[in-house]
Amino acid sequence: MKAPRKVAAVAAAIVIVGVAATTSVASLTANPPIPSSKTLGTTHGPAGEKATPTSALKLSAAEVAKVKKGHYTAALVWHQTSDFEAAVTAGARDTFKQLGIKIVATTIANFDAGKQKSDIETVMAKKPTVMLTLPVDPVATASAYKAAAQAGTKIVLLSNVPKGFVQGKDYVSVVTDDLFQMGKHAADALAFAIGDKGDVAYFFHDANYYVTNQRDQAFLKTIQGNFKNITIVDKQGIADPNKATDQANAVLLKNPNLSGIYVTFSQPPAEGVLAALKSNGSKAKLVSLDLDEPLALDMARGGNVTAIVADKAYELGASMARAAAYGILKKKAPAFVVAPAITITKANLVQGYQQSLHRKPPASVMAALGK
Amino acid sequence: MSAPEAEHQAGTSHVGADRIRSVLTRLRRVDPRLYVVYVAFLLILVFFSIYLRDDGFTSSQNLLNIVKQTTPITVMAVGLVFVLSAGEIDLSIGSVVALSSLVAALTLRDHGMVLGILAGLGVGVGAGLINGFFTTVLRLPSFLVTLAMLGLIAGLARWVTDLASVAVVNERYANVFGSGSVGPVPSLLIWSAVVVALGWFLFRHTRFGAHVVATGDNTDAARVTGIRVARVKIAVLLLSGTLAALAGLLYAGRLQSATSTLGEQDLLPVIAAIVIGGTRLFGGTGSVVGALVGSLIMGMLNNGLILMGLSASGQMIAQGVILLTAISVTLREPRGS
Repeated sequence: MKAPRKVAAVAAAIVIVGVAATTSVASLTANPPIPSSKTLGTTHGPAGEKATPTSALKLSAAEVAKVKKGHYTAALVWHQTSDFEAAVTAGARDTFKQLGIKIVATTIANFDAGKQKSDIETVMAKKPTVMLTLPVDPVATASAYKAAAQAGTKIVLLSNVPKGFVQGKDYVSVVTDDLFQMGKHAADALAFAIGDKGDVAYFFHDANYYVTNQRDQAFLKTIQGNFKNITIVDKQGIADPNKATDQANAVLLKNPNLSGIYVTFSQPPAEGVLAALKSNGSKAKLVSLDLDEPLALDMARGGNVTAIVADKAYELGASMARAAAYGILKKKAPAFVVAPAITITKANLVQGYQQSLHRKPPASVMAALGK
Repeated sequence: MSAPEAEHQAGTSHVGADRIRSVLTRLRRVDPRLYVVYVAFLLILVFFSIYLRDDGFTSSQNLLNIVKQTTPITVMAVGLVFVLSAGEIDLSIGSVVALSSLVAALTLRDHGMVLGILAGLGVGVGAGLINGFFTTVLRLPSFLVTLAMLGLIAGLARWVTDLASVAVVNERYANVFGSGSVGPVPSLLIWSAVVVALGWFLFRHTRFGAHVVATGDNTDAARVTGIRVARVKIAVLLLSGTLAALAGLLYAGRLQSATSTLGEQDLLPVIAAIVIGGTRLFGGTGSVVGALVGSLIMGMLNNGLILMGLSASGQMIAQGVILLTAISVTLREPRGS
């Protein structure tokens, strides 16, 4: 079954290539004092485009005024509801407000490609000027996006690119996380927490989803390339995120002296792994990606969780809205825009929440921090 | 007025009063719950048509979109009406959708359209027969059998392409099964109409339909009257599996691709559509046309609530409230029953 995998892999947009120096994007992050190891890869666009930082998307006062005059409309076509989606939406909404663009429809596909196609068809009844969206499946939803683009709607993509889409013709820009840096930050944080040596378990996302696949690969590449005294003793593919606890129990049974665990994303697999660590009384350090209350609470209490690597979700939404204005103004937009990664530890938990989700940590986390 | 004339008139008015009384009696016997779904459909349609008159809701394109979007749900709902009416359940239909679409897309790519369609439908036939075998021969509850099959088939769907999507590049297939149209009529609307018409005829006007209802109403009584209950149960599960597979083919045609998650979230909307349409969850009665209208209500709600500009959470809350109201009216048992 390699051929279909290849088909989807090609369609799945962005690939990690080559060995390169740290991008300028990484330098924009404000991370705690965790030593940064050598960067062994970089995030490139679907056609090998160089990453442009979100800060490069700028609108002059005259351009803002011109957009405002148009009384344009926007549709938000998302993949699921989550803290991440809420922060992206908040970033987009605030920026659209400054641009005088009205959001006329919001949809959530719950990772169902059929529903997303229906959602796109439905919002097109309102003829939105721009559409901000994360395509759930680059193949299955391509025809609906194509119809929207042909109807004149300016599409700004989050992370995924529909099959056969050409930048500048079918979409304005694709905005995403600096995926390689996210995986690398996780590797650096875990290595730092365990003193650059010991046995580590690697829980990766066992699905053909390029966002998690790239982050996981970046973690693996960084650990194996930069930390010779760290051994990956167990690799667990997470196909059903709700079964992570069972998998972690088995790993801990086989490796009682585990120093650290990497888990591909926080909710629910890292929460499940954390539960297993607690029930087994393990002292192993855990690093995962994407902010999540139970993990942040454990970190605030000085538990197993040593770091959470997150993206700047609010910034992603704001950048998408600015890119949409580029489309309206017919201004040449960068093809591939990335938001920086942030490593969040107990030391910068409050600032990390603010940077990533543009809000305070939940009350439970604040209480644990004594704030 | 002469006496005979007055008598005649008195007689006529007597007959008229009898007729009115008879009509009223008949009306009293009619269960209003059977018609709530149609009233609800009209109310929702009228509400959205007025509220969203400037938002493209009533455009022919949008109304056709609603029908196209709900066709796979409608097709699955027709099959499940038979299963529920026979007092059984089929939880595996969502997984069958995914596997049939993938098997059809892969076979289509390598062996052409006819074999692709047959292979896709074969998945549903196979699933239906296995469900039927375990439910009747081994006498296991269909709830548990089809729950196990749901997991088994979902696993197969993930394994068959290692979670990758398969593109459908056969244009003729895509046109017939979802993307094309005959004149101004989309092919999905035709599929919907054909499946509902055949389902309605089979359910209401054949001996098989009567046997399905009798089996669901009282299995023992049905057996005593000579109905081959096991055969009926195998047949309804076979029908449900086959129609779920057809829904998978329609998804593959509409999306021009197949993935392991297609249809995964369709089970609850299908059950909701059927139940709103007046089919009892525990057998003995059902309505194919009601299921169609229930399915259209679900589609209309999705569509209208998005066009109203509600947030995602607002849409979910509104949908929940409306569905709760609808089933409260359609499913509430009369006092003393």
